[in-house]
Formats: sequence, C-alpha cells, structure tokens
Amino acid sequence: MSSAGEQDFEPVILALACNWCSYAGADLAGISRCQYPANVRIIRVMCSGMVHPNLVIDALTKGADGVVICGCHPGDCHYQEGNLKAERRAEAITLMLQDFGIEEERFKLAWVSASEGPQFAKLMTEFTEQIKRLGPSPYRS
Amino acid sequence: MAARLAEEWFTICGGCEVTILDIGEPLLDLLEKVQIVHMPVLMDHKLFGQTGEKTEMEIPEAEVGLISGGIRTEEHKLLAQEMRRKCKTLIALGSCACYGGIPALANLYSTEELLTKVYRESVTTDKNGFPHEDVPALTDRVYAISEVVKVDVMLPGCPTTPEMVAGALTALLEGRPFTLSTKSVCDECPTIREKKASSTLRRRLEGPEFTPGAPLNQMRCLMEQGFLCNGPATRSGCGGSDGTPRCIRAYMPCEGCFGPISEKANPMVDMMGALSTIGLDPKQIPDRAATFNRFSGAGRLRPAVKR
Repeated sequence: MSSAGEQDFEPVILALACNWCSYAGADLAGISRCQYPANVRIIRVMCSGMVHPNLVIDALTKGADGVVICGCHPGDCHYQEGNLKAERRAEAITLMLQDFGIEEERFKLAWVSASEGPQFAKLMTEFTEQIKRLGPSPYRS
Repeated sequence: MAARLAEEWFTICGGCEVTILDIGEPLLDLLEKVQIVHMPVLMDHKLFGQTGEKTEMEIPEAEVGLISGGIRTEEHKLLAQEMRRKCKTLIALGSCACYGGIPALANLYSTEELLTKVYRESVTTDKNGFPHEDVPALTDRVYAISEVVKVDVMLPGCPTTPEMVAGALTALLEGRPFTLSTKSVCDECPTIREKKASSTLRRRLEGPEFTPGAPLNQMRCLMEQGFLCNGPATRSGCGGSDGTPRCIRAYMPCEGCFGPISEKANPMVDMMGALSTIGLDPKQIPDRAATFNRFSGAGRLRPAVKR
C-alpha cells in the first residue's frame, strides 16, 4: 500500500460501547477534551453482551472498515457477566472473519471503564491507525 | 374443472416426490381436484413431444407448477424458465428447490475442481476426460429455483412434510394464501433451556441424556447438553400440527433442513453466535460454513477465498 493512499483513506469505524462503563468512558474522554479521530462512530448499547455477532459481521460486510466492541472490565459488568458473554462471542466473530475474507485486525474487543477517558481516546487513535494501515475493507467498493 | 398440475424435478433424490405420496388418505381427495399434466417421475410425458418432433422443450399449461431440486445444469435453467412461463403458481418443493439443499454443498468448490476430483483425481476412477457429448453443461454453481425464476410458494424441508404439501395445495386450490412460519425451531421446541451449556461439545453418537418414555419437556435442551443443534437458526414448521420439531421427537438435534428463518439470514453467523453465547467452544466446530449451511448453500456457500 502506498503512503499517499494511507493518508487519503478515511476509514469508517464503528464502536459499540456499553452504557455503564465504556460509553461513560467515551463521555469522559469528551469532557476531558481528549483528542481522538473523528472516524469513530459510537453506538451506545446496554451491554457488550447484547452485541450479536450478526451486527459485527453485517457492519463489516456493509461498509464499515473496522468494528470495536467496548465493555466493562471483567468482574465489573453491570449485568454480572455480559462482558464474558461478549468475550466468548468475540472468539466466534474472529473465526468467522476468515470465512468472510476479512482481516482479523478489523475487529477488536476492549475493556474500558467509566474512569478511563484518556485510555478510550488512546484505544480509538491506535485502532484507527491500524485500520488506516490495513486500507479499506474488501467489501467496500 | 380440475386444476392442472405440472411437476418437474432437477437435482434431487426423489424424496420430496415420495412425500406427496406420503400425504396418505387426504391425497385421494386432493387427486380428485387436480389433473396431472406433466410429472416425469410418474408419467411418460416427453419434453420434445411424444415422438421427439419438437425442437424446443415444452411443458403443458398448468394452474399449479411444482419444482423439486435445485438448478445444476443449463437444462434445469431452461426447464425452470419454461415452468414459470406455463404455470400460474410456481411452488418450490423441498429444501433443494428452496435453498439448494445438500447438492449445494458442492458450491464450496468451483465446477472445475469438482469435475477434476470426480473424473480425474478420485482413486477409484480411471483418469478420464470430462463428459461433454449429449449432456447439458453444468452451471457455475447450484442455484435455488428462486435465484433463477420467481417462486410463489416455498415448501422447505428435507424431505418436506406431507402435511405442508397437502396444506399448500389445498390452500392454493381454494384460493387462500399459504405462508410459512417465521419462528425458529427453538421457539417450538419443548425442551428445558437454562441458557448455559452443561457440557463441552459432544459427538452425536454419545447420545443425549433423557428418561425414556418421559415427555420431551423434561429433557434438557440438546445444544446445552453439548450436541450441535441447528434449531436457533432454522425455520420451524417441520412438526406440523403436533408442533414438536421432527428431529427433537426422535431425541436428535435439529439438522437445519427447513433452512434459514428469513431469506437474508446467515445461519452460520446466527449459529456461531448462539453456541458461543451458551458457552460452547466455537473453535471446535468442524467445517462451520458447511455444517451450518447444510441445506441452504445456494447463494450462501462459495469456494474458499484463496489469499
């Protein structure tokens, strides 16, 4: 991939953030004026455990270049173990990405607590850079 | 006047035709209302005229058309188009016609790979050329009927159920609409679900735990017992008026023969989600694309991406 292409390419990144920790973390990032790329579109979900693999696969095959699911740290889940469910599903998602011919690096599961604003910004910056290096999703025409 | 009925079969084992016979006594009432004008499995009606005098394949006009089997050759394609032209209502009979069925598992390979395997590389076969004289050319993959022509009614199942065939035909003859269930097999399954697997994945021959003779609603969900069951991603309706899914009645996990719940669904993604949610290890699934699309390969299975 050429360096020029890398600069021109603005990926569409979907972040599914849980209501109780990660969305609050994203909120804190905003309140604290942390800078992170505008490529990230955040969707608030009640729990990372409610994100069905369908949503991730659909996003990646219908226009998104990267998807990141953010949930509470293990043990902190508002619903006891929703994030553990998300972890198990993430494994299935990673396997299926191969079947769809999508690079594994386009999907990520991360733990962000409500107090981790700067970490949220850092995570999004790094993930965006990673996707920029990968280039557009093979499903984007 | 009796309604005319035409039936054509493509890539199929013939099981769905047996299902028509399986309707049993209600078939006698049904047969009084229809006049079969074309049905290769049953009667000698030639496509090119009885003495082969015609130059193009012709199927007589009919009110109801049934097609079983998916499309594998160019001949099937032409016949499906002819059926569509001549039949007012076209029914796809069985999962092969609806979703490609078992033959569509071949969609995991290119036609070239298939021919090479069958005619050249199979150890029990003398190396040979590909057949090309007097046989229709293969299509690039197996197609469901609805991918080639418009289908009015789908009757999935492998084989489909006698009750459903009779129900659909009766509904059509009486001018009533016929619709399929939009629920999943799990919605109609009576077994006990606790949303958490009690075991790791098990091989089917180990056999599930249940009390013989006890009603099914006292048995634990087979998936939660560790047996791969396609229930979550499969359309219900196989149980008929009884309601209980066919395989579950025999203490067997659902095979998924009724196909996906909606046209756009991807059973593999649904199933991988379902089994990882209850705590089974998705890495242990052998050949997941084929396992979860066993009956719905047309349009869903494709040769592996080579990178």
